[in-house]
Amino acid sequence: MRNRLRWSAVWLLGILGFISGCSANKGGKPTSQVPDLSGIWLGKGIQSLSPADPMGHKRPGTEGDIPYTPWSIARMKAQRPATGPDQDFAKTTDPALRYADPDGYPRASIHPMRFKIVQTPDSIYQLWEYNKSWRQIALNRPHSEVPDISWFGESVGKWEGDTLVVDSIGFKDSTWLDPIGHPHTEDLHMIERIRRVDPETLVFNFTFDDPKAYAKPWNGELTFKLKTDGIMTETIYTISDELSFRQRFLNEKPTIPIRPSP
Amino acid sequence: MKAKVLALGVLLMAVPLFAHHGGASLYDMSKEVTLDATVTEYQWTNPHVEIGLDAKDNKGKVRHWIIEANSPPVMANKGWNRKSLQPGEVIKITFNPSQRGGSVGRFIKLVKADGKEMLRG
Repeated sequence: MRNRLRWSAVWLLGILGFISGCSANKGGKPTSQVPDLSGIWLGKGIQSLSPADPMGHKRPGTEGDIPYTPWSIARMKAQRPATGPDQDFAKTTDPALRYADPDGYPRASIHPMRFKIVQTPDSIYQLWEYNKSWRQIALNRPHSEVPDISWFGESVGKWEGDTLVVDSIGFKDSTWLDPIGHPHTEDLHMIERIRRVDPETLVFNFTFDDPKAYAKPWNGELTFKLKTDGIMTETIYTISDELSFRQRFLNEKPTIPIRPSP
Repeated sequence: MKAKVLALGVLLMAVPLFAHHGGASLYDMSKEVTLDATVTEYQWTNPHVEIGLDAKDNKGKVRHWIIEANSPPVMANKGWNRKSLQPGEVIKITFNPSQRGGSVGRFIKLVKADGKEMLRG
């Protein structure tokens, strides 16, 4: 009887081990062996990735911690953001406002709105409520041989201890890194180090390496707090809604027909 | 309803609390206007929530205003939803007036008839 129980226990443990092995991706660690980043997260809604000037109060070039090249400082001074000391909402050149372009990344995470992280053994997904957009971070694989140029770039990641290290390239150069307008080129190489520093807090440390735009790599940081109510709303930014807003608040004549009410 | 318009010369920091849209380039952040008003319209919409209202000016003439609040998800985080206001409600509302004149403003806060205060998201 005792032997039968012993062998039953061994058999049960074997079955559980097999199931556990099947649930793990061959190339990645099972999710149970890595930190859990999943959940709904909400940031502060900063205006600039400059750690010295997160609310974008300073004029371009005076932040003190952004190593502009002549190309990027000229770009910054020519732009008309909708925030900061030189803001001009009515005549803004912000592509996300002027053309309803996607924010791209990392700007998608800078709105004071929520995103959800869905974590699987082979990929991590960020799902933003703003514009219902999403990003995939593929784990434990190299970049594509010829990555597409895209709004959110191509991202691959791997775990280093308790930190998810994400390597991203292939960013479309028309996006701004942040609402104040920090530019980048298609050569941007971005490294993120993502860590859940406590159960309620997720920190993204960025390194932006883009030699045409910045004389040396520079760092930014975003912090998010866990929301446990499970709520994800939506806000879809459309040209029609924007034209309606401008007609009502700026008395601007719409340049194209506004979607009529049903 | 007696209208009360207060133009406060309070110098406020032009902190861009909005994700985008109306900031210091559209609104006079150094002034606050407070009105006793009646809600005529409440649009839980993108890009930003809009509050339409009627209020009497100092001469007793009814003037229509449109007030820009924040994006629905940002306001939802502060407890707002699409039924937070109803047309016909009497409120006391405070906002930054437009830089360009006209009856538009940037929402700061309101107080409902039952005394409940609602803040910008």
